[in-house]
Amino acid sequence: MHRGPGAPLPLPSAADSLVASGPLPRTRRPRSRSERALIRGALAGSEADLEALFRAHWPRAYRAAFLIVHDHAAAEDIAQEAFVQAIRRLDRFDRRRRFAPWLGAIVANRAIDWLRARTARRESGQEPPETAAAADPPRGTYSEEVLTALAELGPEHRAVVVMRYVLEYTPGEIAQALDLPRGTVNSRLRRGLDALESRLEKAEPA
Amino acid sequence: MNAQRALRSFRAPEEAATQERTWTVVRDAYRMREPIRRRRPRGRLLLVPAVAIVLAAVTLSPAGATVGRWIRHALGVPHAAPALFRLPAPGSVLVSGAGGTWTIAADGSSRRLGPWREASWSPHGLFVAVTRSDHVAAVDPHGTLHWALARPAARDPSWYVPTGYRVAYLSGRTLRVVAGDGTGDGLLATGVASVAPAWQPGSAYRLAYVTRSGVLVVRGADSKRIIWTAPLSGQARELTWSADGGRLLAVTDTRASLYDPSGRKVATVAALPGTPIRAASLSPDGTALALIRGSSNQDVVVLRFGSATPRARRVLSGAGLRQLAWSPDGHWLLVGWPAADQWVFVRVTGMPRIAAVSRIARQFSAHASAKDGFPRIEGWCCTTSGTAG
Repeated sequence: MHRGPGAPLPLPSAADSLVASGPLPRTRRPRSRSERALIRGALAGSEADLEALFRAHWPRAYRAAFLIVHDHAAAEDIAQEAFVQAIRRLDRFDRRRRFAPWLGAIVANRAIDWLRARTARRESGQEPPETAAAADPPRGTYSEEVLTALAELGPEHRAVVVMRYVLEYTPGEIAQALDLPRGTVNSRLRRGLDALESRLEKAEPA
Repeated sequence: MNAQRALRSFRAPEEAATQERTWTVVRDAYRMREPIRRRRPRGRLLLVPAVAIVLAAVTLSPAGATVGRWIRHALGVPHAAPALFRLPAPGSVLVSGAGGTWTIAADGSSRRLGPWREASWSPHGLFVAVTRSDHVAAVDPHGTLHWALARPAARDPSWYVPTGYRVAYLSGRTLRVVAGDGTGDGLLATGVASVAPAWQPGSAYRLAYVTRSGVLVVRGADSKRIIWTAPLSGQARELTWSADGGRLLAVTDTRASLYDPSGRKVATVAALPGTPIRAASLSPDGTALALIRGSSNQDVVVLRFGSATPRARRVLSGAGLRQLAWSPDGHWLLVGWPAADQWVFVRVTGMPRIAAVSRIARQFSAHASAKDGFPRIEGWCCTTSGTAG
């Protein structure tokens, strides 16, 4: 999203009430309940359990989407839609499995689709007007170098690296989620890591 | 430096803020989901009271009577009034369709403004901007033509609020702006989606529109400078600014998002899978959002943002609900029901009430069938010193 240099307009009182739809009053979180118990609780109608489940998984889901698409507004939309979809399908979720890989697969596939759609638009000459992320810059060790190195990889390579080292999937889980042969996952991981290592070495202070 | 460690220590921008924003969306989706049907042994007799309650609500629903919160699985409200004798709230309704453009005053009297296909009230209801395939024009509420411009495929006129000094409209795939007196017509943007542009009230002629590639753009109409842009998810349907210009509502088939004037997304309502958003409308004071959602059967849902925990309230259900308009006082919703050839007025504050009017297509067009002649609701405007009140 691009913000122009003009200062934001003051918000009149009628509009202020809409802000209330943002942050919620704090709710008591259940203490160290298992993921299975949280899912069971959410299915039974417990909003507190749903919130605990959401807050446990949001940062990684959003981070993974951002690392794949490199656009914070799109990443927010992608992770948000993935959560909404997951909530809708929660009753069909096999509770013997882990929640994170299930959610992560939705996020990664949506992020890859988004990148492909953007590439298609660009090729058809329908590139939207310039958009610039005006959010805070990413934080963490060598965050800019990480982003630059990932940007040099194709969407599928990028997704594999992010799923392995941000979402902490096993190569087998990645292969299943992205419908790829296990060997392809391993080779993409190797190539992605090599690119990252090489970039980060250059950034390393002498 | 270890690449794996760098990836694990990576933090995306605005993680905390996005988490709070998304939690409200996820929570609302959770609240609006259809409850899981539990398998309980229940006999056929147990179904009878439930059906009876629904039927009772429907059959005991004369126009204007209290009928409870909503009607489900019915095509139209039974015993609807055969004609629109009066509006339940002050103001004047503007409609357009195959039968031309009409205004309907609070006392039920209607006036045809001409053979126009689309229309939009001026800020105080003193004029109406109208279009048909080859013209954009301004008429007064008596139908007197004040100016006209020949433009190909003209549609979706929109009048700048509060002065009325500019009118934006689409012509083919272009967005054009003309002064309120019909002078100075010019091109503002090309490659524009078929969604009515929306002026930010009280701004320096800032206009919101959607590109064909699905990007929301807010742009100065005079300066031609792009103020901000944001990608939209899904197929764009509608843009509306709150009356004070403090919020922009962008509606697609998958979500309704609210932006502040600087382009920051402040709230989102996501459609559940299989329940696309058909129409949405922001209340005149900007504190409530009415939505029509659903695929084969639709619900009209009102979300109020006044409290910290906004709740969705279903006020009407039925197959084929399509259009929405708030009354100027924010107490009533006018819902178009083409499949039933009805307008339904639903009171959404205080005691719930429903009043329905049938044979809408016949009243506003020569076509007997609702399919061809059902008019589009263009707005329910303020009272005016003219005939609109």
